Amino acid sequence: MIPLATVSARDIAGARVVQVAGEVDLSNAADLLTLIGAEIAHDAHLVLLDLSRAAYLDSTAVAMIFRLAERLRTRRQELRLVVPLESPVRAVLELTNVPRVIPLSETVQAASPS
Amino acid sequence: MSRVVARTRAILLVGAAYYLGARLGLSLSLVSHNVTPLWPPTGIAVAAFVVFGRSSWPGVAIAALAINLPINAGPFAAAVTAAGNTLAPLLAATLLQRVGFRRQLDRQRDAMAIVFLAALASMLVSAAVGTTALVLSGVVPSGDLFSAAAVWWTGDAMGVLAVAPFLLSLALFRDGPAWPATRWLEGAAILVVTATVVSLGSFTRLPLLFLTLPVLGWAAWRLQLRGAAPAALLASVVATWAAAHERGPFAGHSLVENMAILQAFNACVALTSFFLAALVSERMRAARALQVAAIELEERVAQRTSELTDANTRLVSEIRGRTDAQLQLSQEEARTQRKHQIAETLQRSLLPERIPEIPRLTIATRYVPATTDVQVGGDWYDVVQLPGGHVGLAIGDVAGHGLQAAATMAQVRMAVRAYALQNPAPVSVMTGVHRLVAHLGLPEMVTAIYLLYDPATQRLRYTNAGHPPALLVSDHDAYFLGGALSVPLGVTGDPGFTEAETVLPLGATLLLYTDGLVERRRTSLRAGLERLRVSALAESPDDVEVLCDRVLATLLDSDEVADDIALLALRPLALAGELMTLRLPAEARVLVDVRQAMRRWLQAEGVPSGAEDEILVACGEACANVVQHAYPAAAGDLEVSARRTEGVIEVTVRDHGQWRPEADRGGGWGLKLMSSLMESVQVERTAYGTVVRMRHTAGSRRAR
Repeated sequence: MIPLATVSARDIAGARVVQVAGEVDLSNAADLLTLIGAEIAHDAHLVLLDLSRAAYLDSTAVAMIFRLAERLRTRRQELRLVVPLESPVRAVLELTNVPRVIPLSETVQAASPS
Repeated sequence: MSRVVARTRAILLVGAAYYLGARLGLSLSLVSHNVTPLWPPTGIAVAAFVVFGRSSWPGVAIAALAINLPINAGPFAAAVTAAGNTLAPLLAATLLQRVGFRRQLDRQRDAMAIVFLAALASMLVSAAVGTTALVLSGVVPSGDLFSAAAVWWTGDAMGVLAVAPFLLSLALFRDGPAWPATRWLEGAAILVVTATVVSLGSFTRLPLLFLTLPVLGWAAWRLQLRGAAPAALLASVVATWAAAHERGPFAGHSLVENMAILQAFNACVALTSFFLAALVSERMRAARALQVAAIELEERVAQRTSELTDANTRLVSEIRGRTDAQLQLSQEEARTQRKHQIAETLQRSLLPERIPEIPRLTIATRYVPATTDVQVGGDWYDVVQLPGGHVGLAIGDVAGHGLQAAATMAQVRMAVRAYALQNPAPVSVMTGVHRLVAHLGLPEMVTAIYLLYDPATQRLRYTNAGHPPALLVSDHDAYFLGGALSVPLGVTGDPGFTEAETVLPLGATLLLYTDGLVERRRTSLRAGLERLRVSALAESPDDVEVLCDRVLATLLDSDEVADDIALLALRPLALAGELMTLRLPAEARVLVDVRQAMRRWLQAEGVPSGAEDEILVACGEACANVVQHAYPAAAGDLEVSARRTEGVIEVTVRDHGQWRPEADRGGGWGLKLMSSLMESVQVERTAYGTVVRMRHTAGSRRAR
């Protein structure tokens, strides 16, 4: 079976971009948190979680994002989300009040520091 | 010639003996030349007839005539007397032969026979004839006929009783078992004692003749006839001589008195010795027979025992042999069974463990191993779920049987899987597998079909490397997918795979199979394919499982399956306007399946994509709740159903477990999302599980 979701990461000026592509649900959320954590070095100040290629998130995925944010906050690292307007996952994030806790941008550029 | 000589000699011998016996008898006569109490010749004649046969009668006749001529009144009387003297022994011998007389005289019946038949009965003849001759010739007055006859009769009878057994006993010395020296000594002693005792009784005035009887008893007891007969003869002769000369007890009596005493004595002597001897002989014979029987019995027992022992030994070794054979057989059986089990296990492990449950697609598979071969075959099939809801299908055949073929098949199957996940396009997959097969340098011929199906568009793309074509069966038609055919895998450098495309409509059936299904001896492949086509078209039931069974039943006309058969049937179910139902194990991994099924159903129902996402999330949350909370201890099922009633989509998620209080459940976001995304959410909890019913007005996005 191909994985439901994949994690990839890259660096841009002043930020570490971690992209989650695919679907996140109860079956893979915990694993994804580990995978995402492994992509984030301790020296990164800003982490952009790019969900522009995420097709599906459920409440477990939302909980995972909150846990990630909590973990980074304790390390004085900032987490921002990248979610395009037309993304199918945007409704879930908004309904669970994620944008009020974690800054949410539509593009990576918009979320970047400069 | 020699018989005549022998007969003549016997006649002469018998005649001489008779004559001598007669002379002796005459010397014993009580009244000069007339009354003889013991007439030995008759005994001699009887013994001679018994031993030599009656043919020696002329000797007796001549001798009798010779004896009678001088003492009778005339030649006529002498001839008559001689005739009587000859006839009587002849009659005796005849009677004895008639009753089965044994001259060994060792049975009581023989003793009886010689006493009553040979002596008393037969001698009536000679007495009658002789006295008649005497009376006729005037020697004896007719008034004395009976007394004269009685004297004659007793004399002849005593002659038989005293002499015949003795003569017969002489034959026993020749025929019977040889005597050791002690026996001879004992016999001699008996004769001496007999002579002493009988002389004592006969020549003194003491009445001691009876003492002879115990001595005769001793003789009969110890030596039987051979001891008793000579002793009896001796006693009789001595006593008769004493009587003839009126000595001892016979002195001073009348002739008749002496005759009576003597005859009584002689009779006692004869009867005692013969009966006793016969009795002892009989007893000894019985003892010997018993001993022989005992020995024989012992031998038989020994023989039987050894036979039994042999039989037992044979039986034991046979049983051991059988046990060994049994053991060997069961070991052989166990080995065969184990081989078969290994083959089966291998086959099962090489074929997909289970066909993925793909919502809205029904798939049935069959694997029929060849009945003639326990070895695992090289037929295989596979179904791979691919990104984007696509489904990869493959069927193939590695020629040959056994581990090599099975291993090749496993490699090819895994290669198809891996290449399909990398790039599901048919030509790409087949090219990859071809390179692998060519690289491995496999000796077997490898054929395969790979198909890529998109349930959303019902497009079926495929390529075929030398495999029998897939069959597409719709309601009214059935045809083979004959396109994109190339050579088997690994045969040439670049097979130039191509791709063909068709549409597998909802409700139609795709049938994949291996050549074992269509190849028959004496039947062309074309005919086999046509049989399959006709049968599949005729049998197009609602259930693909039933279809597989019927196709197999129709094409396999006997229980013999020559080659392995793999069969796979796939049918996309018609969706539109239908109730969708899913029943899956309540596990996290099935959530994606539920989403895909739901997504396709919603698309088939024409639900806008925004509403589709919302319904998917709400349904996903309800399902995740079931997965996480409904079955804390055991496995259970998750049931999802959805239907559209006019513009409203109603989704029901059901479990048969128990929901814990809301506070325990992951922050309550799930229920919050469901309520937010759907128009209404009802949660009904019963003792038998929980039902979540959600409605969505699909046509319009809900205002938030």
